[in-house]
Amino acid sequence: MSDETQIAADPPRDNKREARAIAFGVAGWLVPGLGHALQRMWGRALTFFLVVGVLVFVGAGMRGNLFNSQGLDAFAALGYLADLGTGGFYLLAKYIELGGPDVSHAYGDYGTRFLAAAGVLNLLAALHAYEAARGRKA
Amino acid sequence: MKFHLSHLQAMLLFALMISMAFGFLSRRRPLDRVKYIAWSLLLFLLFGIGIGWAMYPFSR
Repeated sequence: MSDETQIAADPPRDNKREARAIAFGVAGWLVPGLGHALQRMWGRALTFFLVVGVLVFVGAGMRGNLFNSQGLDAFAALGYLADLGTGGFYLLAKYIELGGPDVSHAYGDYGTRFLAAAGVLNLLAALHAYEAARGRKA
Repeated sequence: MKFHLSHLQAMLLFALMISMAFGFLSRRRPLDRVKYIAWSLLLFLLFGIGIGWAMYPFSR
């Protein structure tokens, strides 16, 4: 009796393309929009650069809380991860916010949200650049 | 460098930035992007102001 059952073979993986996609994703994380710029998606690249840049610039200017790795609770750890999502702009925010955070006013609290939103948006954009480079969506 | 934005200014800026990012992320055609951004911005503002008014009776 012949075995008619066939196991679907995985499609051959294109390692070069995968490595390129990862590089675009990492580039997009480090410099917002770079992952799209390298794929000549100029509109998206410029938009993500501006949106993340404005959110970081204003968030730090409002003296939002820029979390660091010495957080004592889960909220601080999650905040640090979100802030790290801004990639290279994390250093820019540190430079702008030399006076440290001040969340005793509403605008300081808003600044914290701006910084976190910038990080999460940039992670989303980097993931999109990675997926686009893999040909999954554009 | 300091920014002292009011509640409304902060909400407007935040809504505009997030709407733009989502519009460019999820739509390809320019017209679709503009429609998405306008619609998303409108909903952000409606919900933000609506929730603000809903909290008003408990604020004092």
